[in-house]
Amino acid sequence: MLHDTLNLVAGLDFSILPQQLVNGLLLGSVYALIALGYTMVYGVLRLINFAHGEVFMLGSYAALFTSWSLGFSPEALAGQDKPSSWINLVLMLVVSMVVCGLIGMAIEFLAYRPMRNQPRIASLITAIGVSLFIQYAGGLFLPQSPPPAISEQVNPYRNEKVTVTLAPPPQDLVVQAKDARAKADQMDKAYEAAKAKGDPTSLESMRQETQAAKNAASNLETQVASKSTGLTVPYGQLGMLLTTLVLMALLWFIVQKTKTGRAMRAVAHDFDSAALMGVNVGRIITITFVIGSALAGAGAMMYATVLRTPLTPFLGVTPGVKAFVAAVLGGIGNIPGAVLGGILMGIVETLVVWLDGVVPGLSGYKDAVAFVVLIAVLLFRPGGLLGSSKVEKV
Amino acid sequence: MRKTINIASFFALATSIVLGAYGCKDSGASGSTAGTTGTTGSNSTAGGETAGSGGTTGSGRKDPAKDGSDIGEPIKIGLVASQNGDLKPWGDDCVKGANMAVDEINAAGGINGKKVLLLTEDSNSDPVAGKNAASKLVTDGCVGILGEVASGITQQMANVAFDAGLPIVAVGATRTDISDIGSNFFRVCYTDDFQGPVMAKFAYDYLSLRNVAIMTDNKQPYSVGLSDSFRKAFEGYGGKIVDEQKYQSKETQFSSYISNMKSKSPDGVFLSGYFTEVGPIVSQMRAAGLNMPVLGGDGWDSAQLQTSGGQAIVGGFFCNHYNNEEKRPEVQKFLADWKAKYSGVPGTTMGALGYDAAKLLCDAIKRAMDKGGKKSKDISAALEDTSDFAGVSGKVTLKGMKGNPAKRALVVKVTANGTTFEKAYEPEELAK
Amino acid sequence: MKFWGVRGVSILAGLGFAFGLETMVSAGLPNIYRLVVLAGLFITLAVSLNLINGITGQFSIGHAAFYMVGAYSAGFVSNQFYAQQSLGPQLWLVVMMVFGAFMAGISGFVVGLPSLRLRGDYLAIVTLGFGEILRIVVQNIAPLGGAYGMNVKPFGSPPKAIWIVWTLAMVCIAVCRNLLRTAHGLPFLAVREDEVASSAMGVNVPKTKVTSFVIGSAFAGAAGALFALYDTFISPDTFKMDVSFIILTMVVLGGTGSITGSVLAAVALFAIPEWLRTLQDPVTKVAIQIPGPSLVATMLAVIVAVALVKLIQDRFYGDKGKKLGLYVGAVGAGVAVQFLLAALLKGVPQLAKLSFEAAALRMVIFSATLIILMLLRPQGILAHHEFSWAWVSKLFGRRPSEANA
Repeated sequence: MLHDTLNLVAGLDFSILPQQLVNGLLLGSVYALIALGYTMVYGVLRLINFAHGEVFMLGSYAALFTSWSLGFSPEALAGQDKPSSWINLVLMLVVSMVVCGLIGMAIEFLAYRPMRNQPRIASLITAIGVSLFIQYAGGLFLPQSPPPAISEQVNPYRNEKVTVTLAPPPQDLVVQAKDARAKADQMDKAYEAAKAKGDPTSLESMRQETQAAKNAASNLETQVASKSTGLTVPYGQLGMLLTTLVLMALLWFIVQKTKTGRAMRAVAHDFDSAALMGVNVGRIITITFVIGSALAGAGAMMYATVLRTPLTPFLGVTPGVKAFVAAVLGGIGNIPGAVLGGILMGIVETLVVWLDGVVPGLSGYKDAVAFVVLIAVLLFRPGGLLGSSKVEKV
Repeated sequence: MRKTINIASFFALATSIVLGAYGCKDSGASGSTAGTTGTTGSNSTAGGETAGSGGTTGSGRKDPAKDGSDIGEPIKIGLVASQNGDLKPWGDDCVKGANMAVDEINAAGGINGKKVLLLTEDSNSDPVAGKNAASKLVTDGCVGILGEVASGITQQMANVAFDAGLPIVAVGATRTDISDIGSNFFRVCYTDDFQGPVMAKFAYDYLSLRNVAIMTDNKQPYSVGLSDSFRKAFEGYGGKIVDEQKYQSKETQFSSYISNMKSKSPDGVFLSGYFTEVGPIVSQMRAAGLNMPVLGGDGWDSAQLQTSGGQAIVGGFFCNHYNNEEKRPEVQKFLADWKAKYSGVPGTTMGALGYDAAKLLCDAIKRAMDKGGKKSKDISAALEDTSDFAGVSGKVTLKGMKGNPAKRALVVKVTANGTTFEKAYEPEELAK
Repeated sequence: MKFWGVRGVSILAGLGFAFGLETMVSAGLPNIYRLVVLAGLFITLAVSLNLINGITGQFSIGHAAFYMVGAYSAGFVSNQFYAQQSLGPQLWLVVMMVFGAFMAGISGFVVGLPSLRLRGDYLAIVTLGFGEILRIVVQNIAPLGGAYGMNVKPFGSPPKAIWIVWTLAMVCIAVCRNLLRTAHGLPFLAVREDEVASSAMGVNVPKTKVTSFVIGSAFAGAAGALFALYDTFISPDTFKMDVSFIILTMVVLGGTGSITGSVLAAVALFAIPEWLRTLQDPVTKVAIQIPGPSLVATMLAVIVAVALVKLIQDRFYGDKGKKLGLYVGAVGAGVAVQFLLAALLKGVPQLAKLSFEAAALRMVIFSATLIILMLLRPQGILAHHEFSWAWVSKLFGRRPSEANA
């Protein structure tokens, strides 16, 4: 038994573990941003806002349209390089947050406010209806076939990355790789020259040799990369993590330090008493929806731009469900819990794929593992990781 | 009770606005009665060459138990295409191509004086919907079915067609074992048993790759089959498959698979899935710092590769059926006709394959009618008899091929706004 | 004796109805055979979920999982063993139905256990999670066809299924109705109303909860088994979360706890999309084009109007005439929104020339109808009412006591 376990562990490739953790963190930060919306709405209304994933989807389209109007549409670019600046990214982020905030407000006003005094299950069905409506009505209008993607050129830092080396690769391999690349470049030049001259006799063999040299070089480079333990994080992803952190800090500030935040906490604690104490409950609920949706919008913009996801009207379904699970995992209604749950979900998902190296076929279960973790946590801590498990009042 | 009236009035309001203002008229008489779905009392074997259940004709494949529909007036043929969903670019081209072929035949007076009617059903890029679409066409009285572009959907349609005794001509379904379903199955494209080795040879000889990683779309029978045949052929040439990562259609984040693959240091990656996922995968691969060549099968063929793959996908290679730059007269005529009818050029090869499939089926119907055939099974027999049918995508010979024509394959290179021809492989070339 | 007389008559009538439907549809309307089968299956699913959700009050939103368990177990066993035995197709259907029910019942037992510890939304999430886990596990098992799906073709061609599907639906309805009417059903209702109080009154709460899960999932499993054998191809995608949501919607829309409501909502919700699908010319397949932007604008406008009316109803307690004025204003606002949006959407050049097939619009219309209905009648179409002869006679203006209730 122990022997088997050791064998399993030995089969793992720990050199990519840090990279996988970062992959998980990136995915997790998107989940966390969506989960915040779920958890805040649940906190004040006790309503699972199933349409939240669709707000996320609309946010990604808002970012897409902004990028198009900034001149990064496929027609405008036509395969050419166009310089960009960070202002474009900020603009996209802001537009997508504002659009999502407005949509969240509209949904709340039209679909949930009239249902406020009704049984919760009725609101839940309305939420499902809204979610379906946005998906399919969106399917009629939004460009989806082929699924558009935000041009990578909108990101001015797309070629820059941070490389952190935890354990360096063997030095001789690095030298070899460098030499091989230089040789391949030289041969490539010679081949291009020959091709321009049009010398057909030796062209094919030359092409093959050049190709082989190029392959050898890229193979060595990959080996260098895989022999070293380290991380490669593009600037875009780094920026994404920073933005997420800033947004979360902002949220913390709003909730903990402002008057509105105090009112939100009061409504979440006790709806009726808060109303009796003079809190304008309707306004607070609207604000909650706006903030939650705007956070989803920020997540959507980064998901589409930095994580390079092609857009479809059904884009929001999977991240939506995962973020919802994350919110429950952390303790629904609990804001730090949603962040923790989201990041945990992202990391668990990535680690399952990583473990696929020793247990072939495991990666197929990556979506299931999230639910297994959820059920396990709920059975032992029914309130979620950070939630308080209250006994239902009689 | 007041509430009920409330509801009723709102319903009336909604419906009247919807239906009244936009003149959407209800479909009057639904369902045509022409043609019934085979007769249960008929003999269980076709052709009368062999007796007993599970009998086979010369093709060595199982024969359908039913004779299928009668060839009526007009001659109804069905087309199932992915007019919605992920494979929409293919489905749209396929419908256009098939319509063009049928219009051409009707303009020339139809088949032996009878007009051809093409009934189109949407498969929504989904096997279950494709199966239902095929059943619908069977009940509508079609004598033969065209489609689909994807193997998973075709497999279900072929089952339906087999039960009803109708011939089916697949447009772009390359998975090899679909043709085992029965003697009613034919296609106008090559199979993965050819395509896989072509790409393996290309990778090994032309690109001089030795350590290749594979990424397979576990949900698509096409991708699974293509990966297997590539693996077999590539290992046969002496190469090594260092890793295989399995994802599923509709996933969007591949960074964890890519990190896994990176640790195995491959010098090339074979992506056997559809264009919907290939673009994002390659784009995320490049972002993670993997710069090796990428190659794939005909599932890549769409302008969408560039929209979702961006700069990253440029320089990738894939296997295709034909190329718009070819000088053959069939191709030139097809492109001119296409331009006249729809303007532009077909964005994917499915336009040409759809055209070929419709032409081939009509050709077979004509040959069957010339011989006095009256039923779907006669069309199947005529299809089985096809030799050297000159299609846009190359010559199609089905005689003794178990429904799988031996066709040429082209390897093309992805450019910033299209593809360029790189290398051609003939079937004989691979046989040695 | 009278008891058995009535029973016998109703059983015979039920069977007669099922066989009559079978003969009628297969002879006269072969085109809708599949729809009739599916309608029967959805009735079973909705009513069985109603038992868990509406009658026992356990919030379960993973019903498609039980449907799937039934389908896959029956499909797998049929593929393996049908050829080796000599039961006819019809008898085999019955055997598989029982088998599917058994397997789904076991899984229902497992899923029901957490309900002892969790309540409300948390239970809902766990049932949803179980559903997803089961689906993903099936997706990864090669003998079950993996992610692509499994062909279930033991009989060669699809069997006659209407009679058995509708018999199952009627059995399901009868079981639920009798539970509600007899002393066996009272614990279920008690648990729904108040767990603590019912436990104080001596109701075995854990047993009641788990029993309701087992019975409900067994019926769903039986439906799944019939679906697999009739439809000949099952894929994990057929049993996605959306299906669970649709079944849940049927229950809630019909009125939580009302069996009649579930049946009506199941038929309606199943029929609306299917009817919208046929909104195209059957022969030429030329779709009737509806200008999509205007339609969606209209749908949104109706939602806006309904929401406003609803808000007015909730807020305004004053003068009737004023209230009426506000209603008119709300509807007017809705119409204004419609024109505004339609103009706006037409103004965007890419959208102005867009038009869509009716089939593509069906889910839009479906979801808009769902929202509007829920806004107007949150307690469901029938609320908790049931169909009864007394109600029918009341409708015709007679006193209930005269009717033979």
